[in-house]
Amino acid sequence: MEEENKQETIKEKAKTNYKEKFENIYNKNYKILIYIPVILLILTLGYLFYFSSINGDIIKKDITLTGGTSIQVFAKTDINQLKAKLNKNEGQFSIREISDITTGEQVAFIVETAMSPEKIKPILEEYLGYELNNENSSIEFTGASLSGSFYNQLRFAVVLSFILMAISVFIIFRNFAPSVAVVFAAFSDIVMTLAVVNLLGMSMSTAGIVAILMLIGYSVDTDILLTTRVIKRKEGSINNRLYSAFKTGITMTLTSLAVVLVGFIFTSSFSEIFNQIFTILTIGLIFDIINTWTFNASFIKWYVERKEK
Amino acid sequence: MKLTLRIWVLIIFLLLSTIVIINFQALLQKGVEIKDIEQNSSAFTSGLKIGDIITSVNNMPVENIMDYSKAISSLFKDKNESVKVVINTKDEQFVFYSDTIPPIKISELRKTNIRAGLDLQGGARALVKPEEQLTKEQMQDLISISNQRLNVYGISDVSIRQANDLSGNNYMLVEIAGATPKDLENLIARQGKFEAKIGNETVFIGGNNDITYVCRNDANCARVDRCQQVQSGYFCNYHFVIHLSEEAAKRHAKITGKLGKNVSNPGYLDKQIDFYVDDELATSLFISENLKGQETTQIQIQGSGSGVDQKSAISDAENSMKQMQTILITGSLPYKLEIVKLDTISPVLGKRFTYLILLTGLIALIAVSVIVFIRYRNIKASIAILFTSFSEVVILLGIAAFIKWNLDLPSIVGILVMIGTGVDQQIVILDESRSSRTTSMKEKLKGALFIVIAAFITVVASLLPLFWAGAGLLKGFAVTTLIGLTVGVLITRPAFADIIKLIDKSQ
Repeated sequence: MEEENKQETIKEKAKTNYKEKFENIYNKNYKILIYIPVILLILTLGYLFYFSSINGDIIKKDITLTGGTSIQVFAKTDINQLKAKLNKNEGQFSIREISDITTGEQVAFIVETAMSPEKIKPILEEYLGYELNNENSSIEFTGASLSGSFYNQLRFAVVLSFILMAISVFIIFRNFAPSVAVVFAAFSDIVMTLAVVNLLGMSMSTAGIVAILMLIGYSVDTDILLTTRVIKRKEGSINNRLYSAFKTGITMTLTSLAVVLVGFIFTSSFSEIFNQIFTILTIGLIFDIINTWTFNASFIKWYVERKEK
Repeated sequence: MKLTLRIWVLIIFLLLSTIVIINFQALLQKGVEIKDIEQNSSAFTSGLKIGDIITSVNNMPVENIMDYSKAISSLFKDKNESVKVVINTKDEQFVFYSDTIPPIKISELRKTNIRAGLDLQGGARALVKPEEQLTKEQMQDLISISNQRLNVYGISDVSIRQANDLSGNNYMLVEIAGATPKDLENLIARQGKFEAKIGNETVFIGGNNDITYVCRNDANCARVDRCQQVQSGYFCNYHFVIHLSEEAAKRHAKITGKLGKNVSNPGYLDKQIDFYVDDELATSLFISENLKGQETTQIQIQGSGSGVDQKSAISDAENSMKQMQTILITGSLPYKLEIVKLDTISPVLGKRFTYLILLTGLIALIAVSVIVFIRYRNIKASIAILFTSFSEVVILLGIAAFIKWNLDLPSIVGILVMIGTGVDQQIVILDESRSSRTTSMKEKLKGALFIVIAAFITVVASLLPLFWAGAGLLKGFAVTTLIGLTVGVLITRPAFADIIKLIDKSQ
């Protein structure tokens, strides 16, 4: 290892210079960094309150959470024409097309409605001119009472999982302030992601809520690494420890992001479940980078420095 | 280079998983597997059963579905003749006679033991909620009766299990490969309370207390006929014979004994016998005069079906007849049920989707390795990371195949996501081991494992609620993620830490 270092001394020197400059700026201004996620959190929380005052809930729910029917028909059709036709009927419809990423061809379309399958099927059959059966379509129906209880339970599951995560974090670190920071970052990840999901006009399904749950796990990963490296270890300066944690943490998040993005690109046009989960995870991981390395990193630096004084 | 115990453990698990995943039988054996066979058919009574591997039909070798269809269709060219069918399976020979194509569903031999869920292979899924809260025993009763019903109806590739949710509701989750939603609605959600009444008095009800025999699959006593063209299409009648128990026959004698003659319809009694299904009148029949006061043990049940053309009217009548026979045999379900979720997934897109998922997994692995290589610029370490991630997926699939877990979409998401998270932990280990800390390698790796285990505990804690929320429909995600994480913590990551030590020593 040492021989390798010798060979790279010139390179290292340039790096150190750059690093020193960066460190100086960082040491002076790191507390400001804390404000970025805090302001962002206040803004997004405000937006979520505003959103729920208009829509009655903090998210827009799709039929898996409100009850209704989703019919997937394996045929090519002009979506706009179908929309025009369906809008003549009562009730709301959401129509989406499904295409194959490798060929770019439309392979199917999905109609979602609050109606029961018995009502929507004849309307679609009339438009298509043939009977819908197991060979040419898939039908998913969720009763309103079930979807209502699904929603309540999943919401409860998210809260419960958040609490369980928080308890584990406190037990692992047995240290109040850093644990609060970890929990706070996970909370911010969720709030900010929900805000973007709403801004994009996405309707959340059961899968979407599961993705939020996954986000809790993902966001804690890097925070635990950061907190352990900076608080539990004593070697090197705080900045060195921070930097090494950053290098590891960002690689971790980038590999996760790469997998999620690949998943999004290849499967999301095929399945609503995959689409929601990968979209939400992508948004969430990007916020996690911001929250972990502006808020958590700065908070921990501040905490350790104050303790060392 | 000496491999440590932990690396050996990884290698052994990897080998075991490969053995579990690959269906060696399919590699060595040629033939087709029986997926489903209608009970009470002559093929069934000859001894053929689900899972048997057919190797030849009447000495025509069968290697794939095409061979089987060809062989069968050549045997049943002339329709109305009884044909001798000789089916050879792997170890036995079965002989039976049939005048119709045997009701056997077959499939190619599976090359792997990984079970694709309904989302990929197609089928119907219903979540059924009893109207009242049931105890565990009551639920077991309900499940066994429902199972029996589906079996009697002729569907056997079915999984029925109990599901609970966070609010303490219990459900019955029914998954059937290849059934139509209508079958499910009629067989599962319908209570199927059958009553035969004359006036207000009950003569007999469905179930084996009153009914000792129901004629099925025998054209002499159960058939569809008398099709008529009506305004809206076609209309067909079915009728089949049942045998009553002695007790029910006595009741019949007592009740009919009190009846008078029908004035407007000579030859019959003045009251009809009414068949109710779930308290709704299904059919009413006139009772012949000479049955008055008789202890009749044979009764004919009638009903009808309709359709736009004769063919669909016949098949509708056949289905109605089968359903009626089923509820007469199994009796009423003890509880009223409501279908709260009903999905029918077509198998059409499943294959394409499976391909896309495999492609996604592969490209995800490549993407991860590119990032890892850019970061470390060290071939050995990067390969070690890739190898470990790959083993994690293989072992996870091996365990899924071993516990016969059906991979539904949430489970697959869990596996894909694990490719990303598994690598995360390896990166922690690698970085800790390469850190400039002055402690020994052992201490460094101990530190790394602390982070890995801490992350493991928090993720597990956050996933626990998913086991119950949503009536277990999202359980798949939690299960695969938990298996993956556990495999990671117990097997692959300790081994990875040792591999890193080995690489470190050799440099």
